[in-house]
Amino acid sequence: MEPPHNSVVRTPLNSVIVQRRSKSKSYRQSYRSCLGAASRLGLTPALTARRLNTSRRAPKSHNISEKVNPEHLALLLKTEWKLSYVSPLYKFRHTQLKSYSRQLSAFIAAEKQQGLAVEVEGLQSGFRVTLSVVQGLTETDDDAETVLIQIHANPLFARQDEPQRSVWSGWLTCINGNTDYLHSLPKDFTCLPLCGCSGSEYLSGLVKSWFQQTFDCCFGPLEINHTSLQWLVALWTNCHMESSLQHLKMSWTLPVVPPLQVTYTVNPQDAWELWCSVRAGRQEEDEEEEEGGSIDIKEVMRLMQGLKGHFFRHFRLDLSAGSLRQVTTALGSAKCNGRIKISNSRYMITTLTLLTECALLKMPI
Amino acid sequence: MEDSTRRVLQRLIRRIPTPQLKTTLEKWSGMTVAQRGSMDYTQTKWALTEKLLSLCEENDWTTKHITELEMIYVIDNPNQGMWHGFQLLDPEDDAHSVELTQFKEQFKSHLGELVRHVSVKIKKHTDEAVWIRIAWGDSFSRPNHLKPTYVVHHLQTPYVFVTGLTSKQKPLLSQALVLSTRHHTIKDANLSGRKLTAIRDLLMKQYQQVFPTNFPSPLAEKNETVSNPKIEREQAGPGAHRHQMACEAFGDGMLPQLQSAVYKLETKFKDHTNRTMTERDEPFKCIVKFESTNLLESLRYCAASGIASTPVTPLLSSIPLKGRNYFVITDNGPGPSSQMHQSQN
Repeated sequence: MEPPHNSVVRTPLNSVIVQRRSKSKSYRQSYRSCLGAASRLGLTPALTARRLNTSRRAPKSHNISEKVNPEHLALLLKTEWKLSYVSPLYKFRHTQLKSYSRQLSAFIAAEKQQGLAVEVEGLQSGFRVTLSVVQGLTETDDDAETVLIQIHANPLFARQDEPQRSVWSGWLTCINGNTDYLHSLPKDFTCLPLCGCSGSEYLSGLVKSWFQQTFDCCFGPLEINHTSLQWLVALWTNCHMESSLQHLKMSWTLPVVPPLQVTYTVNPQDAWELWCSVRAGRQEEDEEEEEGGSIDIKEVMRLMQGLKGHFFRHFRLDLSAGSLRQVTTALGSAKCNGRIKISNSRYMITTLTLLTECALLKMPI
Repeated sequence: MEDSTRRVLQRLIRRIPTPQLKTTLEKWSGMTVAQRGSMDYTQTKWALTEKLLSLCEENDWTTKHITELEMIYVIDNPNQGMWHGFQLLDPEDDAHSVELTQFKEQFKSHLGELVRHVSVKIKKHTDEAVWIRIAWGDSFSRPNHLKPTYVVHHLQTPYVFVTGLTSKQKPLLSQALVLSTRHHTIKDANLSGRKLTAIRDLLMKQYQQVFPTNFPSPLAEKNETVSNPKIEREQAGPGAHRHQMACEAFGDGMLPQLQSAVYKLETKFKDHTNRTMTERDEPFKCIVKFESTNLLESLRYCAASGIASTPVTPLLSSIPLKGRNYFVITDNGPGPSSQMHQSQN
């Protein structure tokens, strides 16, 4: 393994996508022609990679704590986020966040009031919405700056001097978004495909519907599928030398009656050594064509196979029959229902890159 | 004293769900018939508590009365908290003749010698089980009735089930139990779960077991007229066989409701495609936990459906066979930490 800062590389990652584009072109054209050019999004010569990348750069440790406002970073780290994907925002301007804050406050106040027959005094001033840019949380020049949304409210039985407390927060981001896709968007669109929310469902719904109305976009739930969870197992394990995993905990659910949950917790050092052995095998095979900076899906699969094989040897029970539901390490935790917590700022970029990719895959064409 | 009695009563009423409150109070001797009749169970919990607290003043209930009520409730609703199984070993010659009065006396006096402040209440349940409630204190403090330990022991059996025991109290209880049941030692059975009945059934093997036989279904084939016997047999054969093996390993019918099993594995990593790891000297350390609302039924389903290969590995079949759900697995023979030696293929 090379030290991470040496791998400046773009390994075959680009070429893979380019190839895929040419392959899928005919399919997409026919898909579009049968839809007609009605939808505005349909007009974009949009090219999302239809499948998850099969190879990605090894996680570099990014010291984003120097770039990102510590208050923002603390919020991003301490919270578990419920993920959604968002289609590109029409006429969204990072320069107008102040005005958006006011509009969203007013929107929430209006919605809150709708259900009430009598006007309750002081309710309008109950919510304070702040939209802000999270400076520094981007990777390439094509990525739009991350937007953070915070909603503060007066506690229900507040005294006069009591400060407002945070009741909801969320963000929209794009980290290492597929450049082909981003370039293919028409001028007035901003692509922030990954959204995380934390707080009441009701407020999440309100914020999303305001975005939908204002920027003509759509939101949808983003699950973290089996493959992405396996990627996270590998990406996080790969970080162990720089920042300890503490434990690698994976949970499967097996489709039996009653459902069986299997939690497999591996000693971090052993997981790391297994990962190294799987990586070493690859480097012997095709050392010439690849540089150490990238991780291939085959290696991820071999790691999982190794773990499952060890399990099978003892219990004669095939974990492949079930589905991986959750991965937890000291660096973060991810659940298949789209909840994620990133506990270490240094690997935030890596994790968000993967999730941005997942979100882009969900994009309607 | 008065105040602490009230607190114990308050806590207890809060714990008992309203539907169970009536049946529990009716079995209790603390109230007169008229008082029982005056209870209105449609009232809120808060109102009921107030009512009982006023009756407490009126009838001059002591902590003894309240703990009696608590025992009635716990005995009827034992499936709360975590129960741990223990096994008594090396009985003395007269171990079989220990009867209730003798056990009661002995246990109380032995525990009383070990701990200065301790309150023990023993009750015999209809199913021959002896229920012991212990409120612990120490040399400086009175027994704490808010955190009692419950012990269930079936006389003349080596099994003891315990809930609410701290590690500090464990040696004291063990010693009192060993002496009063006329045994030499007691060991952790490595079995725990939320259902007392399940733990008991597993340890005492009170569930429908299936024993291996060479003739799984001797008469079935002769009487059946099958459209295509070859295909039927081809398909039914392995399935039925798997089902038989699954039942042999885990039992038939309703199985004791166990919630989890934990394996601490420290074994060599063997994989013919991975030389580096196979040649490594250190064991691969991991912890595997199986969880389900009924673990044994889930595992039986795994084996019967083919998700788990048959014959079932001894690791899994040991749960019902040995009546335990915590295992430490190592490769090398009986070391200090190895509680189960695994025969590797």
